[in-house]
Amino acid sequence: MAQTRYTANGTVRDKASGEVLIGASISIQEIPRSSILSNAYGFYSISAPAGQYHLLVSFSGYQTDTIDLALTKNLEVPVELVTAGNSLTAVVVSATKKNENVTRPLMGVQKLTTNEIKNVPVLFGEKDVLKTIQLLPGIQFAGDGNAGFFVRGGGADQNLILLDEATVYNPSHLLGFFSTFNSDAIKDITVFKGGMPAEYGGRLSSVVDIKMNDGNNKDYHFGGGIGLISTRLSAEGPIVKDRGSFSISGRRTYADLFLKLSPDSSVSDNSLYFYDLNVKANYKLGERDRVYLSGYFGRDYLSFGNTFGIDYGNATGTARWNHVFSSRLFSNTSLIYSKYSYKIRINSNNNNIGLTSNIKDLDLKEDLQYYIDAGNKVNFGFSAIHHAIAPGILSASATSSFNSLNLQSHYSLENAVYISHEWSPSERVHLDYGLRVSSFLALGPGAFYTYDANGNPKDSTYYSSGRVAKSYTNPEPRASLSLQLSEASSIKIAYNRNTQVLHLLSNSTSANPTDLWIPSSNNVKPGIADQESIGFYKNADNNRYEFSIEAYYKSLQNQIDYKNGAQLIANTNVESQLLFGKGRAYGLELFAKKKVGRLTGWISYTLSRTELQIDGINQDKWYPAKQDRTHDIAIVGIYPAGPKWTLSATWVYYTGNAVTFPSGKYQVDNQTAFYYTERNGYRMPAYHRMDVAATLQGKKRKKWESSWTFSIYNLYGRENAYSIVFQNDPGDPTKTQALQYALFRFVPAVTYNFKF
Amino acid sequence: MRILLILAATAAVTGAACKKVISVDLNNAAPQLVIEGEVANVRGPFPVRISKSVPFSASNVYPPVTNADVYITDSTNGIVDHLSQPNSDSGVYLARGTVGVAGHTYVLSVTVDGKQYRAVSTMPKAVFLDSVTFALNFDFNNKQEINAVVNFQDPRGLGNYYQFTEKVNGRNIPNVFVFEDRLSDGRYIEQPLFNDSAYLQKNDTLLLTMNCVDKNIYNYFFTLANVTGNNNFQTATPANPSTNITGGALGYFSAHTTQKAEIVVY
Repeated sequence: MAQTRYTANGTVRDKASGEVLIGASISIQEIPRSSILSNAYGFYSISAPAGQYHLLVSFSGYQTDTIDLALTKNLEVPVELVTAGNSLTAVVVSATKKNENVTRPLMGVQKLTTNEIKNVPVLFGEKDVLKTIQLLPGIQFAGDGNAGFFVRGGGADQNLILLDEATVYNPSHLLGFFSTFNSDAIKDITVFKGGMPAEYGGRLSSVVDIKMNDGNNKDYHFGGGIGLISTRLSAEGPIVKDRGSFSISGRRTYADLFLKLSPDSSVSDNSLYFYDLNVKANYKLGERDRVYLSGYFGRDYLSFGNTFGIDYGNATGTARWNHVFSSRLFSNTSLIYSKYSYKIRINSNNNNIGLTSNIKDLDLKEDLQYYIDAGNKVNFGFSAIHHAIAPGILSASATSSFNSLNLQSHYSLENAVYISHEWSPSERVHLDYGLRVSSFLALGPGAFYTYDANGNPKDSTYYSSGRVAKSYTNPEPRASLSLQLSEASSIKIAYNRNTQVLHLLSNSTSANPTDLWIPSSNNVKPGIADQESIGFYKNADNNRYEFSIEAYYKSLQNQIDYKNGAQLIANTNVESQLLFGKGRAYGLELFAKKKVGRLTGWISYTLSRTELQIDGINQDKWYPAKQDRTHDIAIVGIYPAGPKWTLSATWVYYTGNAVTFPSGKYQVDNQTAFYYTERNGYRMPAYHRMDVAATLQGKKRKKWESSWTFSIYNLYGRENAYSIVFQNDPGDPTKTQALQYALFRFVPAVTYNFKF
Repeated sequence: MRILLILAATAAVTGAACKKVISVDLNNAAPQLVIEGEVANVRGPFPVRISKSVPFSASNVYPPVTNADVYITDSTNGIVDHLSQPNSDSGVYLARGTVGVAGHTYVLSVTVDGKQYRAVSTMPKAVFLDSVTFALNFDFNNKQEINAVVNFQDPRGLGNYYQFTEKVNGRNIPNVFVFEDRLSDGRYIEQPLFNDSAYLQKNDTLLLTMNCVDKNIYNYFFTLANVTGNNNFQTATPANPSTNITGGALGYFSAHTTQKAEIVVY
């Protein structure tokens, strides 16, 4: 007879704030390979035969806690950890289990906490999680003025960006200078570049899972910051002490207030600002139930006098219910709403035109985790998302040259079920494998067209409300395996398939607020990506240094490009403007991190290639994708220069994007026209830049804490090319010239932060 | 448009963006044949210009092609016109026997060095240009500019395409202006022609031409606008415009109705 097994379960929290800790390591000291991680709600469950044990709980930046565990029955063991002290150290020291990067089967994963990024210099001194992750290997900065980023060769629209589980369709403010994530509101960010767990799906390249702070459930706290271009304020506190808490953070830029000061009315009539608001609350209903509500609202306003204006933004809401069915079965049910919309108005002479467009998601999601025993866990669940996309409603005044127009909305259902098993068959082998099955249903009401070879509508069928016009089902197998070679080194391999049913159509170099999302249909198939990766991980000098090498190969099907002169704006037949093909991406990522000591930081290097083959482009031959980057380097260093000062610097370098330049010129219609021979056959100049920051910790009073951050973006003033334009030489009509635009030289900034 | 927005946003936030002329090491493609031909509903002769492309770094001097054999056939009535080159080193061939009639389909056939190039264009019905007026608009740098506004009634039914050219004080304005009725069917059109770089000034003499063109020609000029030396902000992936000439030549052949208006800018 097997001995009776009992289970200890509970939630891991920060002792001071009551904030739950995600990904804390819990193990039973006496049982090898019993270690598990707390889940997204801080929950853990660990089982063992009846006996006397010690529970070890550790988390990066916190002191390890050892708890006596008399496991003679099922127990609830809440855990509260104390921070490791010196909060000045940015990339913090973990107490034990410093080799988790080596032992866990997850690969292609990067995780950052807001605390870790607080000293990394950024543009205008606005801490930005989405910008800072771009300093990690395989995650590539899309360039100045662009919040988009490329993961292992994927396009910016192939990243699933989740804020408390809600999809954020446009993660950028001010045309890409800032991300929509106010770091005051963010607890942590995890990026999956490969080996995605089966609970995630919907995009080909990556999942960026961003979690908001729950709020302090013990005391009220307030904080904020005043910078050159924005002000932030936040508040948090208990709703009922130890039972529930709330957190509110807001920010608004005020660049436009400076515009108002201009005596020139053509400048002061312009507006240019954004705001966002993050709110979250949670409440413990009982020992087994907790509810969470979180929301995000943000909007950008840009206008040029009375003639042109655009506003755009996201709104998301998530309602979640955690329920502990038993000490081993944890459930979370989420109801999620997400909306992205934009509105354009144009007033010129007789034309008063408004154009609105939006995408609305409603998502029901269920995730269950069953803790079988130590090192043996099953995750399963489902998700059903209803997408409603209104591509454009154009309203024109009576005198306008344009007709009012209401483009047909697209309705669809994106469903998925999944199951995965995390399992350690031996002390040295960890396995995480599973299957996600996704299904997509394009729904009526609406007409579905077919097109002839020239892109003219051939036929159309009308489907009434709720009827299925087209469906796709895709099994998505996922597996990763880690083989530990020694206490400090391991090899991991992973395979995963991802699919993507929503496609972003964009005719410009980088993401625009007006880019168009379209669902898959009878003409447009879901994209499919298969990725294999292998990595070697080694920690040295007692886990003070962390090294990794990862190599990946990704093949992509059903990739989209556009016909020459594609008309994407207000076009019912936009699907006829598309071309389809395949892609491949492969690369090598090297990462070295120094985690302990006065100087901390990392070096990341990516060598990669990304190519596309689209029928109808470049004589159907393979060509480099825009984001093909041969070399990509990032170096980050942080150094506390005394009890008050922390200095930091970053340096980035990457090969210029692949671009199309002319290979000749000719005259037509009395004008010079340029002659092109191949798609993306040239390169932009290499990009490099150094940023520095210094943070001065103010005098600590009883409750009041403050700091000043001084930073310079682009320290040596390199004029990195934003765009290269070919044109007639204005000074010599017999010549043509290449003109390079750069957005910045040096951008100094100062920010004052406080909390009490 | 994006780059305009982003430059304006950058300028507002940081002061100013920087620009400079750089040297780019560009490939020199083999010279390409360029054919530009037209037939209009006015008195001929109609020119067909044939030239060659040059490397980007060369002067804007485009060698004429003088050894071409050029025909225009009115396939509606079967009349074949063999074009002559009055000035034998100009590369300009004239169609003297062709009459432009709305509704007729014309075929251009060019043979150069044994290679044949062919294009077909159908002359649409004329749409009457009521008037040309002027309006003040702001560009994205918030500079005020005077734009010509074309006023006309678009006929009911999709498929009307318009092309406009401007000549100011006898000088061609190197700008592509096209308009389609895809979003404007049956409307009374008052469309400003936004200039990219050459601006109209008060008291200038403007000669405005309105052509009603076929769909292929509209597509040609719509895509040409992205790749001319006068377009400050080229698209992400520029490509050669979609020509109606088969056989591998650049350029276009357009049969169109045409109207002209001459006015002093006010």
